[in-house]
Parts: sequence; C-alpha cells; structure tokens
Amino acid sequence: MSDLTLDNFLQLTVAGIVSGSAYALLGVAFGLILSVTGRFHFAFTFTYTISAYIAAEVGQQYGLPLWLALIVGALVGAVFGVLFERVVYRPLAEKSGAYALLVIFVASLGLAIIGRNLIALVWIDTASLQITGFTNAGYNIGPVTLTKLGIVQVIVAWILILALGAVLSYTGLGRIVRAVRVNPEMSLVVGVDPKTVYLAVFAIGSFFGGVAAVLNATQTAASPDMGFNPLFYAFVVAFLAGLGRHPVVVGLVGLFLGLIESWSALFMSTQWTSLVVFGILFIYVALRPVQLRGMLRRPTPATA
Amino acid sequence: MELEISYLNTILIFAIFALSLNLLLGYAGQVSVAHAAFGAVGGYAVAYLFLEHGVGLLPGMVIAMIVSAAIGLVVGIPALRLSTEFLILLTLAVQTIIITLVTTSSAFGGTYGLQNVAGFTLFGQDLLLPSDFLPLFIVLTVLVYLVVRRMGESPYGRVLRGIREDEVACRSLGKNVFSYKLTVFAVTAAMAGLAGAMLVTQNQLASPSLFSFDQSTAIVAMVILGGTGNLLGSILGATVLVLLTPFFQNVLNFTPEKASLWRLVAYGVVLVVVMLVRPQGILPEGTTPITLVKRLLRRGPAAGEPTQSAAPDVRVPEQVNRGALVDPASIDLDEDAHALTELAHHGALPDTVVSAGRTGEIVLKVEGLTKRFGGITAAENLNLELRRGTITALVGPNGAGKTTVFNLLTGAIRPDTGRVTLHGNDISGMRPDQVANAGMVRSFQDVRVFPRLSSLQNVLLAIQGQPGESAAGLFLRPAATAKVERESRAKALEWLSFVGMEAYAEVPAGALAFGQQKLVALARVLATEADVVLLDEPASGIDQQWVEVMLGLIEQLRDKGRTICIVEHNLHVVGRLADHTYFMELGRITAQGSFEELTGEKRLAEAYFGTA
Repeated sequence: MSDLTLDNFLQLTVAGIVSGSAYALLGVAFGLILSVTGRFHFAFTFTYTISAYIAAEVGQQYGLPLWLALIVGALVGAVFGVLFERVVYRPLAEKSGAYALLVIFVASLGLAIIGRNLIALVWIDTASLQITGFTNAGYNIGPVTLTKLGIVQVIVAWILILALGAVLSYTGLGRIVRAVRVNPEMSLVVGVDPKTVYLAVFAIGSFFGGVAAVLNATQTAASPDMGFNPLFYAFVVAFLAGLGRHPVVVGLVGLFLGLIESWSALFMSTQWTSLVVFGILFIYVALRPVQLRGMLRRPTPATA
Repeated sequence: MELEISYLNTILIFAIFALSLNLLLGYAGQVSVAHAAFGAVGGYAVAYLFLEHGVGLLPGMVIAMIVSAAIGLVVGIPALRLSTEFLILLTLAVQTIIITLVTTSSAFGGTYGLQNVAGFTLFGQDLLLPSDFLPLFIVLTVLVYLVVRRMGESPYGRVLRGIREDEVACRSLGKNVFSYKLTVFAVTAAMAGLAGAMLVTQNQLASPSLFSFDQSTAIVAMVILGGTGNLLGSILGATVLVLLTPFFQNVLNFTPEKASLWRLVAYGVVLVVVMLVRPQGILPEGTTPITLVKRLLRRGPAAGEPTQSAAPDVRVPEQVNRGALVDPASIDLDEDAHALTELAHHGALPDTVVSAGRTGEIVLKVEGLTKRFGGITAAENLNLELRRGTITALVGPNGAGKTTVFNLLTGAIRPDTGRVTLHGNDISGMRPDQVANAGMVRSFQDVRVFPRLSSLQNVLLAIQGQPGESAAGLFLRPAATAKVERESRAKALEWLSFVGMEAYAEVPAGALAFGQQKLVALARVLATEADVVLLDEPASGIDQQWVEVMLGLIEQLRDKGRTICIVEHNLHVVGRLADHTYFMELGRITAQGSFEELTGEKRLAEAYFGTA
C-alpha cells in the first residue's frame, strides 16, 4: 500500500495512464473483432503472445532495431489472426448457424491452449525471453518519474486508437466496416463482402494486440502465459464500453480502468489491486439495470 | 497397482467434474469456465477444516459442498441476466478471482498451497493409499451420476433443455427460469466442490495448480469430447483425457514436463477437432449404448448414412441438420409413441378443456395501459376487453404496437402506467411466468419452438402441474413424478393430434417446416390449458392449406369457451375469425367494432384496408 500523499497520487496517476493506455489498445483491438465479426476470439491470447516471442527472436537473432522487430512481431500475430478466421472460424460459422457463438468459443479456446503449450514446448529451454534494445531511461519531472518506455507505450497506443477511429469515421473503408458490423447480410446486397471485412478486422485487431504485446514484453519479458490477463482486460474494457462503440470511447474506458486500478494501490496492498478490475466488472454486471442480452448480433435462424 | 488405482481415482474425480458441468452446460446451456475454481473452494475447505480444526472427511466434504454451493449462488445471481459471451467473461473472472485469492492469502499457503492433508480415516480405517480411497470414490461417483441423471433425464431436465433452447419461450409457458438457473448453478457448484475435495484428499495437497484455468478447460474438453447433454459421454470424456497423462509418460516416454505440455496441447486439439468434425461429441445427446447398438443393427451395411425418419416430409434445415451439438441421425422414433397416438382422437379437442364461466363475460380487462421507450410512445392509454368464448383481433399497420400490447399484457415489458386484470385479479407488474400461471399464455410471431427438442417434448413443457419439474418433487415424490409423466405424455400426444402433428411427435421441432412449427407452437400454447390465449399472427408465413387447418382449430377453441386474442395482418383471417376488432395506429386504439364496421369506415378503408 502506498501512503496517501499528493506525490504518490501523481506517481500512481502516471502509472495508471501507462497501463490504462495498454488496456485501451487491447480493448479497442478485441472489441473491434468481437463487435464486427461476433466471434468469441479467445485465441487472441495466442496472437498476442506469439507477437512478443517473434519480436524477441528477430531482435536477438538478426539484430533488428526494436521498432522493426515490433512491426515484424505484430504482423506475425496478424497473420495468425487471419489464419484462424479463414481456416477455423469461418467454416464453423457456416455450418453451425444459430449455435455459432458457443461452437466458435470452444474451438477458439482449443486454439489458445494449443498455441500456449506449443510456445512452451518450442521455447522449453528458454526461461524468459527479454526484448532488448531499449534503454529504460527515466525522467524526473518534479516528484514524478516517467520512463521512456512508458511514454512510448502511451504515444503508440493512442496513435493507433486515433488512427483507427479516424479510419472508421471518415473513410469509405470505415463505412464498409461499420455497415458489416450492423448487418452483414445487407452489406452483401450493396456489394460489400463481409468475409473480406472479417479478415481485415482480424488482421487489424491482431496487429494492435501484437503491438501491445511487444511493448509489454519490452518492459518485463515474454512468457507463454502472458496473453491471458491482456485478453481479460481487453474483454472487460470492450464490455464496459459497450460493443460497437467508437474506438476513442473504448480507449477512454481502458484509460479509466487503468487509473482506477492504479489508484487503488493507495487503499490496499498491491497484490490485491488486480482484483479491483474484477470487482468493477462484478458490480457493473450486478447493478446494470437492463438485461445484457442481444448486445452481439446473432445469426438469424432461417425460417420457412 | 497403486499407480493404476490412482489413475482410476482421478478418472472418478474428473467424471464428477464433467458430469456436473454437463448438467450446467449441456442441459441448461450455461457456459462456465470456472468449474475447477468451484473445485478449489471445496478442496481448500476440506483441507483447511481438517488441518486447522480436525474436521473429518465426510463432514468436511459436506461443508465443502455447502460452501461451494453458496459461492455458486453468488455467481449465479449476476449470471442470470447475461447472454453467453458475457457469461463466459464472468466465469473467467470467477476462476481468476478464486485462484488469485487462494494464491495470495497466507492462510491458504500461497503458491504452495496447504500441504500434508493426510491422515483421514473413514469408519475407523486409515485412508492412505489410493486403494483405500477407491471404494468411497466409487460410491460418490455413482451417487453423483444418479443425481445428475435424475435431474437431467426427467421433466426437470426437459425444462433445463427448454431454457437452453429459448428462455423467453420457456418463461412464456410459466417456468420460473431464474429459479431453475440458480438451482443448477448451486447444485453443480456443490458437485464440483465435492470433486475438488476428493482431488485434495487423494493428492494430500490443496494447491492453486490443481484447480487452474487449465483444469477448467480440461473439464470443458471432457464434456465436449464425450458429447454435451450425454452423461455417459462425460464419463467417457473424463476417462480418455485423464489417461492421456500415463499415455504420454509411459507409452511415449516423455518427461513429466513435456508430457504435461503435450497433454494440454491434446486438450486443445480435442476442442478444435470435435468442433470441426463432430460438434455433438462422441456420444450425441439422446444416445445410449442401447440406442447405439440398435441403430447399428438396423442400418447394417448402410451405416454412416442418416437414418430414414419414419415421419414423412421432414425438412431438415441446415442449422438443425449439420448444426452443432445435436445429431439428427440420433432421432429415434419411439414405437410406444405410435401406439399411443392411435388411441388419441384425431383432430378433436381434448376433453380436459372445459372452461367454466359464461360466454361473453369479461375475462381480461386493460385500463389506461401506457408504455414509452425514450421519446417513442409504443402504447398510449390503451383500454381493451377480452370476452369469454370470443375472438378479439388487433389489427393495424406495421409498427402500430400490436405485438407490444402482447408483450405488455404478458409481462415481457413492464407498462409505465395502467392496469391489467385477469379474472378480476390485478396482474400488472407480474413476470411472464407468473402471468402464464395466472392463466394467460401467448404465442410468438417467430414461433419460438425449442428447435432441438422433439415436438412431443415441446408440448410436454407446456403441461401444467408436473411434480417432476421441481427438484423437490423429483427426489421426494418419485412415484407421483412417474405417474404424472405418463399422463402428461398422453395429454401432450392428444394436443399434438389435435393439431394433426402426432406423426411428428419424436421429430425435433427445428426440423419441421415453418407451418408445422406453427402448429406445434399452437399445441404448446393450448397444452398450458390457459383460459386466455394470445396468438401473434397465427396464420402468417404459412401455406394456404395450413391456414385453413389453423383457422379451424382456433374456431374450435372459441367454441369450447376459451378467450382468444389474435394479432393478424391477413384480413381474410380477421374477417372470418374476429367477433370484435380493435384498430391500432401509432400505439393508440383509434377504432373498434365488428370487422364489418371497421372496413366500412371510409378513413380506415383508405388508409389500411385498401379498397376492399
């Protein structure tokens, strides 16, 4: 527990902005996939984790600079995201109709477990995989310490979120994505193929997740289980913001969550702060007045 | 030998985990990825009570189950309002919270857990070796199997499947869906707690890794592999997946570390492959070893092809045929059903329907009913009356709020103001299931049959007064349960034969043509024997031949003294059926009278009825 002083409060605020920006990016990435495709993409954990491992490997083996390793890692994550959609989710959705949500969740859970353990097997002799090439310098501004990595994390996260927001709001591509989110069948009528849009959404969402993963692993290290908590945070942020909301709104919810979590260290031992998010989720679910159903568009069962 | 027995014990433990999750997931349709965490609650309870307070095995297990059930209830309450994707999120949170709590609190030994949980005795005998535990574990597993079977394969389980298929429809038939869900959450959590307690005593250790998220997914994989909604499948799934560990270690000679990673990979492969290749699992719902053997014998060399259903003209739409989790080939026509059908009267209204009361008296009275959604007024100061032995029609353009009226009357939507009285009792503010039990039942425009249940089961769910539909009746009144079930089946068949669908009694409702589904839905509404019947577009979207059948049936009902209200667009239908007609526009009733009077009004004729 930190003492309740102004200095501590400011320092925790800075930490909250850094972690909150990461949650924001994750929430935007996962929320985009969930709201547009309706797929419960649990294997987001895998595309996340593999991005960090690949970035670390190419950084170490070929001495790529961090920014290039980050892009390579996140691209590999995007490729896996697209692959899962094309090879597993789409065929499942086509044949299971009204039950697609559950079927895809189960399969995606399976993919996540396979991926996590294959990573553990491949890197079985590597205790932890550090992403190097980044001096974690700190700057003191008054009583508050900022790290260079923290600043980069915040800037990168918000550039990506704002860019996605701008694309969705102001471009033809964004209109297409929004159209598919609202009604894929109708979008087909006006000449937009939802299948292609789904692939694009998986690519973007997985790429964003990959970026978050590489930055996270730069701070700590890559490990096979590193994707689980991010998925959870991503889901909570997307859920609290509401599916299909504008990326900036989702991002602000993520930021808010990070701040609350960080500030709670003023009142409780740090090992409990991670439970604060669960507490918020529970209270939200328990107190929300309307029934939380129908937030996901469902495939309409064919009648007649 | 002891090693083999320890694997057998582990199979028994995971069989309990899988059986109970199957009741929750396969029957009631509630997804949980927190089942291992409920096991942790039970396991840590037994270990803590034993180490700190010297509580013995059996009392410890009982307390463990109670504590787990209580936590199951705590989770169940918010879960009631969640759709599948958010239920997954919530149970994911529960799994993480519980494991984080036991890992971070020193009272529970942190990461290492509670160790040396050894020295239990049972009836004066020391329990040390796996073989000492085996008899107890066999007894417990058999008990759990019997309880789960009783709950799943019974009228109670039929309601659970109904909830899985369509909660709204279930509620409209008078089922208190909330209480069913809560009970199932609590009971299955208690069983998981028991399994957790067994796991801890067998390992002499309660540690977070015994109950990790990986274990929860392993339990899901067991249920999915064996087949959701099939209890023997769960035992099979538990056996196969537990035996993967010795397979990798002893047959493939992997190191323990590699073996445990490969085992988890195998779990994942099971989940993906089963979903892609055989979503209904090894043993699909409704398959028992007997039906399996029967089907193989009957089919002979043609095995692999779908069985010919004895009912003619069954269209099997995509999502039922190839769709998840149920195998249409498993549909087995029950010979008894045909015999019973022969006895049933064809097309005649069952005698059970005798409405007391005088024709023309007011049965339902609506006064000043108003509902606004934001700025939109869906219903404005509605006043209407339904009279016994008459058919009242609500007509009006699309969006006039006709279906909203049904939703308001049956409690699906709460009115802002206004009163609804049924037989003189105020029913405003009641839940849909309470309204149904008070004697008013509705049908749905989009039929809402339970697609994976047979037509007979669809109708059976509507039969009132079944002791087997409550957990108490199920276990305390087995004789009454069995007797009423026989009677209910006969009644349900009568209703099916009333609508001419008795030949399709054993066919999943989702496999029927739309018109046939409407008839089954009508039989379902009628089988509630509700006095007041609200029919939402009974004749829309079906072929002309079915329309005639449907109208004839509705007229028979009226003549028996039921009170009927229909929403209908087909003016031919309204003209033939309606004794009294209300005309709605933009949430208001703007005209009423006989159909002829309304069509005679110049303004309405131009605006709605055309030049007819």
